[in-house]
Amino acid sequence: MYALEVMRDVAHAVIEVGTDDGRTARMLGVFTVLANVDVPVFLIKMHSGAITLAFSGKDREKALDALSEYGLTSKVRGELALVVVRAATMRDLHGVMVNIADALFAAGALLYETGDSHNSVQCLIEADRSSEAEAQLCKVFQLPPESVHHLMVSSEGGR
Amino acid sequence: MKIIVQKFGGTSVDRTESRALAARKVIQAREAGFSPVVVVSAIGRAGAPYATDTLVNVLRDIDPQVPPAPREMDMMMACGEIISTVVFAHTLQTLGSKAIALSGGQAGIITDDVFGNARILEIRANYIHELLAEGYIPVVCGFQGTTNTSSDTEHGAITTLGRGGSDTTASALGVALNACAVEIYTDVDGVKTADPDLVPKARTLSLCSYEEVAEIAHQGAKVVHPRAAEIAMDHNIPLWVKSTFSDAAGTRITGGSSSDAESKRLTGITHTGKLVYIRLEIANAEHKPQVEREVYRMMARAGINIFLVTFSPTSLSFCVPRTRYPVARDLLDGMVVPVQNAEADASGKPLTYYIFKFSEGLDLAYSVQRPLLKTVERFADIVDVPATVIESCTMVSVIAAGHRRVSGIMATIFETLTGAGIAIYQTADSEMSVSCLIPESEVDRAVQLLHASFFEQ
Repeated sequence: MYALEVMRDVAHAVIEVGTDDGRTARMLGVFTVLANVDVPVFLIKMHSGAITLAFSGKDREKALDALSEYGLTSKVRGELALVVVRAATMRDLHGVMVNIADALFAAGALLYETGDSHNSVQCLIEADRSSEAEAQLCKVFQLPPESVHHLMVSSEGGR
Repeated sequence: MKIIVQKFGGTSVDRTESRALAARKVIQAREAGFSPVVVVSAIGRAGAPYATDTLVNVLRDIDPQVPPAPREMDMMMACGEIISTVVFAHTLQTLGSKAIALSGGQAGIITDDVFGNARILEIRANYIHELLAEGYIPVVCGFQGTTNTSSDTEHGAITTLGRGGSDTTASALGVALNACAVEIYTDVDGVKTADPDLVPKARTLSLCSYEEVAEIAHQGAKVVHPRAAEIAMDHNIPLWVKSTFSDAAGTRITGGSSSDAESKRLTGITHTGKLVYIRLEIANAEHKPQVEREVYRMMARAGINIFLVTFSPTSLSFCVPRTRYPVARDLLDGMVVPVQNAEADASGKPLTYYIFKFSEGLDLAYSVQRPLLKTVERFADIVDVPATVIESCTMVSVIAAGHRRVSGIMATIFETLTGAGIAIYQTADSEMSVSCLIPESEVDRAVQLLHASFFEQ
């Protein structure tokens, strides 16, 4: 059984950490400064010279200020939506990713990042394509409208 | 009638002394006013004479070149539980209890016909209810059922339920019998904050939510099968994990946001998987979505699950199970993906052919395929998609419900692992957990260090 969740007002940051010996320390710095200003992060991915991560759009200014104060160069894209496809034992199924990629391609939605767990695949796309993406994903996975849930990203803070 | 389902795993029924302790749990439940229904696994683990693996090898050893038919394989695998059930029922009888052994089919467990991984379709519980009313303790084979049939000549085939099948049997019986609880007995005294073999200081959780225990199980803890937790969750049946060998209270698994009060959002540290991490460089960001889709399509056609999928503007990375890596590499190496160029392409060529390159070598497909593409270079750009591979990876996870609403979890994980010199190749997170892909050789240390950071301070 599949279900779809759509979370709006998500921001995605690309934070340069370099490729030199200080890369690991700068990566730790990213996580620490964001924790210190109570910005919960998710969809964290490591790349050779950068970290990418997502947070609530409400935290955008706070996160940018903290990163800049720490001396890190970052680019933040706002107005994104996190579309989450859910199914039990997702990692025992094959072909889910190609179905999602086909649906998002048909919706004209550019995929900025993905995340996956045993019961979900999460896709970060432009918020203004999320309705079309939702429609295409419902078509591909034969989901009735009641299987779609619209949520907001929230934060409680508190390291 | 207060029905309770008690499931005993292989280590609880493998020796006379263990069976006596397990039988004592059943008798205690009876004395406490419950009507117990017992589910048992096969006796012992790999190597033991009646363990499932031992029985399967009897078939496989006949001719290793000829795999046994799935139907006959299921009949053979079911024998372990049948022997165990009869032995356990007789143990109870010798202790003065009125017990009766039932195969899965006799207990009314009807499944589909997917041999080796059957799904329970329904449980016809009337017979068990009758036996309970007559004062019997039904002892039911875990891990098995029977196909349904309307034929006059065929009476159903024995099926097995796949990994964790006995836990699934217990949960499903709990639902069908409207039991007041399902108790999973094992050799540890509940759900632990880490594998006690790696972390002797790991403590037992007194309370856990269905979601947390399903997450722990999916991320590698072997205490209860996730399917069993999911069935119990769907029907709100309280589930307990207890030790056969102690009188400790165990862990109660139930609905709601739970966890121990003192570690509200952290449930445990787990590890799982033998993985290979593949990174593909796709030079043209504009063409990348189309090339990626062909990668997904190829993996799907081969039945290979991919996870930890990560993008950058010019790369795609993902993990495959190590057992499937040779197939993934053979399929991708030398694969050619043609993509139409945008009209204003500088080269004036209408197409770009992307060819995947795992490594150079006489026996690899790339080295055969690439020279063949010379003939199309007049009208197509040929672009390599080089692959970098990290073998021998595994995932270590921090189970932290609601971590997306709380800051600082990733900072602690990163500080703990990199501070100890453990490389983090990639991360994945969901609402319930944060996982890190690390070298397999570091898994013991990583679990111990993360446990110390999150649970021992």
